[in-house]
Amino acid sequence: MKKIRAFINNSNISKFRFYFQIAAFVLFVYGGYFYVTISEKLPTFACPFNKGSGGTCYLMPLQHQLHMTWSRFIGPGGIHLLKGFLVFACFGLVFSKAWCGYLCPLGTIQDWITKLRKVLHIRFSKYGETTFKGLKKIKYILLFLLIIIPLGVSNSLLWLPKFSHDIFPPFCKICPGRIVLPLFTGDTSQIYIDFSTKTAMTMTALGMIVTGIFFTGSFFKKRFFCLFCPMSALLYIFSKVAILRLNKNVAKCTRCGNCYRVCDVGIKEIADDVINKNIVKDDCMLCLKCVEACPEEGCLEVSFFNIPVFMSTETGFFKRYCLRNEIK
Amino acid sequence: MNEKAKIRLIIEVKKSLKEIMDDFSDVPEEMGYFYERFRAFFEETPNNGKKVIATMCIHVPVELIYAVGAIPLRVCSGARSMAEIGEEFFPAKACPLIKSTFGALYLNIFPMAAAPAMIINPTTCDHKKKIGEMAEDIDSCFYTLELPPTKETEEARFYWHMVVKKLAKELERVTGQRLTRKKLKAAIGIVSLAQAQLRRLYNIRKGNPVIWGNNAILVANAYFFDDIANWTDRLSRLNDELEDRARRNQYVVGQEAPRILLAGSPSIFPNMTLPVMIEQMGGIVVAEEFCSSSRSLYDMVAVDEWSLYDMIPAIADRYLKPGICPCFTPNIDRKRRLLNIAGDFCIDGVIYNSFAGCQLYQMESRHVEKILEQNGIPMLYLETDYTSDNTGQLTTRLQAFMELLQDQKS
Ligand code: SF4
Ligand code: SF4
Repeated sequence: MKKIRAFINNSNISKFRFYFQIAAFVLFVYGGYFYVTISEKLPTFACPFNKGSGGTCYLMPLQHQLHMTWSRFIGPGGIHLLKGFLVFACFGLVFSKAWCGYLCPLGTIQDWITKLRKVLHIRFSKYGETTFKGLKKIKYILLFLLIIIPLGVSNSLLWLPKFSHDIFPPFCKICPGRIVLPLFTGDTSQIYIDFSTKTAMTMTALGMIVTGIFFTGSFFKKRFFCLFCPMSALLYIFSKVAILRLNKNVAKCTRCGNCYRVCDVGIKEIADDVINKNIVKDDCMLCLKCVEACPEEGCLEVSFFNIPVFMSTETGFFKRYCLRNEIK
Repeated sequence: MNEKAKIRLIIEVKKSLKEIMDDFSDVPEEMGYFYERFRAFFEETPNNGKKVIATMCIHVPVELIYAVGAIPLRVCSGARSMAEIGEEFFPAKACPLIKSTFGALYLNIFPMAAAPAMIINPTTCDHKKKIGEMAEDIDSCFYTLELPPTKETEEARFYWHMVVKKLAKELERVTGQRLTRKKLKAAIGIVSLAQAQLRRLYNIRKGNPVIWGNNAILVANAYFFDDIANWTDRLSRLNDELEDRARRNQYVVGQEAPRILLAGSPSIFPNMTLPVMIEQMGGIVVAEEFCSSSRSLYDMVAVDEWSLYDMIPAIADRYLKPGICPCFTPNIDRKRRLLNIAGDFCIDGVIYNSFAGCQLYQMESRHVEKILEQNGIPMLYLETDYTSDNTGQLTTRLQAFMELLQDQKS
C-alpha cells in the first residue's frame, strides 16, 4: 500500500492527464458515432451541435428549460428544471472542477494549442493582476445573462418587451464550442453569419468573433477561454463541498510560489493563501500541476472522500523537475 | 598590513578548525573532506580558466552564473581579523559580517585565492546598500542587485524579474559568453543536485542526531567556495554514511541532549563560537535558520516552459518568493517557517542570534519570541559580534538556558 502510494505521489500526473484528455476528447467528440450518450447534463462542453458528441453540455438544456413562462415554473417545467439541475449537481459534486482540467474538450483543445506554442518557443503573454481580476468577472456576467435571457424570451422582464427569439439560445450562439467541435467531425456548417434579422446577425457574428478570440487568446495565454467560461462559474458552486478536493496543509507552505508559477490559469492564492485548507478557487480546473510543482512533503494534497489520493512530495518534485535535467 | 592580517587570519582559521576537530569525537569519516577544504581555505585552486563571480548573499541567482560558464564564490566572511580591517570604513556599531567581508575585499583575500571578475551585491540591508558606493576603496567592481523591499506584491515580483534579466545580460557581458536555453537548463540541473543532497542531510537531521550541528554548518559553509560537483558528491557520501549510522543507532549524543534550532545571523566559518559552545554544553544543534546554511539551498526552481523566457523568471522567483530574510516587509513567512522547522525537527529550544549592528534581526526578534512562546517553545536571544570580549557573559546565559531545557526534558 505504501509503495503504491509513493508510486502515485511521485508520478507524473501531467503526462497521465495528457492521455486521459485524449481519451475523454474521443469519447465526447466521437462517442456519438458509437451510440454513446453519457448524459444530457454534463458539466463539460460536449456540444450537441457536433453530430458525434457523446453527451450533452448542461448549458444547452439549462437554457431550454429556462425558456418558459413564469406559470410553468410551478408546474412540470419547474420539476424538469430541478431534476436536470440535480443530475448536473451530482456530476459536479463528485469530480468538481476536474471536469475542466481532465474532461472538457474545449479545455483540451486549448492545452494542445499551448503545446504547439511551446514547441515553437513563442513566449506567452502576461497581464497585470488588476486586468486579470477584471477579466475573471466576465464569466459570472455570462452566467447571469444565459439565465436571464431565456427567461426574457418567454416572459416580460421588468415590463420590458420580450426579447426576440432570434437571440435564443444565447450562450450557444456565442460559444466557440458550437463552431469548433463540429470541425473535428468534418462539419463546417456552423461557420456562418445569419443575416436574416439584426439580432440573429449580431449573435452569430459574436459567435465568430469569440471563436477567433478563443484561438488567438489561448495561443498566447494558457486556458484563456476558461477565464470567461460560465460552466466554470457554475461548477464552482460545488467545489467547496465536492468529494474531490484540493487541500493545502498551510503550515508546511513556504510560499515559494512554485505552484502559482506553473498554474495555467494563474491562481495566486494557491501559493499565497495560508489560511484556508480547501484551496479550490473559481478558475481552478484541478489539473493538479500545482501539486506536482510543490517541493514540500504533503503540503498540497488531493483527496477523494477525505482519503488522500495524491500529494506533493520532495522525491516527486525532484523526479519531475530536477534530476532529469542533468546535462545530457 | 596585508601580510600581517593574512597571518592572523590563518591562525584564526586553524584555531577554529582545531577546536572543532579536537572537541568533538565520533565524527563521520566523510567529514574529513570538508575539514580539509577549510584547512586549505586560502590555497589556490585551479578553475580551468573560468571566471569567478563573487556573491554577497543568497539572493544572487547562481544558476545564471553557472550558465555563462563562470563560478560563483560566496565571499561573506566570518573572520574576526578581517572585521578589524573593515572597522576603518564603517561606523562603530556596524554589523561585523559586513565589516569582515569588506575587510577581506579590501585586502583582496578570497577563499581559494580567487580573483573575482565582479562582485554581486544585493541590496538586502543598509550596510549592503552603502557598501556598493565604497567601490573606490577596493579593486574589484561591485554590481548592485536591486532586491525589492517586499516580496508580497506582483509589482515587486515583476520588478525583480527585470532586475534578474538585467543581471543575466551583465553576466553575459562580463564573461563574454552567451546564455542559452541548454546551458541554463544544465545549470538548474547542477544546482538542483546539490539541493537534493542538502535536503537529504536535513531529513537525516530530523531524526536522532548522527552528526554534530557544527559539522553540518561547516558542510553547508563549504558550499560557499567549493566546486559544486565535488561538494555534491562528497555530501552524498556523507549522507550515505550518516544514514548508515542512523540504521546502526550510532548517535553523537544521547536522547537527553536538548535539540536546538539556531536562528538569526549566520555562523560563518571561522566564526563558529556559538554552535561550538552550545554543543560543548551538551546541546545539539539540529537545524539552523541561517542564510549560510539551510536557507541557501533549500528552495527549488520550478520551470513550466523550458525556454529562456520562462526559465529566467522561474529562477528569479526562487530567489525572491520563499525568502525569509528580515529585510523583507512584512516577513510573516519567517515566523511560519521557524514554527514549521521547530515542529519537523522536534526542537526543544531556539537560540536566536543577532549580530550587534544588524537592526533587522534585532527588531524581528521580539515578534519571533512572542510567536514561539505562544507555541510553547523557549527562546534565548543573544547579541554577538566577532570579538571574544563578552564570552564570559555569553557562557553564563547559554548555560542557564541549556539547564532550563535539560530540566524541561527530564
Ligand atoms: S509550491 Fe507548495 S510550498 Fe510552494 S507556495 Fe505552493 S503550496 Fe506553498
Ligand atoms: S490551482 Fe492547481 S489544480 Fe488549479 S488550475 Fe492551478 S495548477 Fe491546476
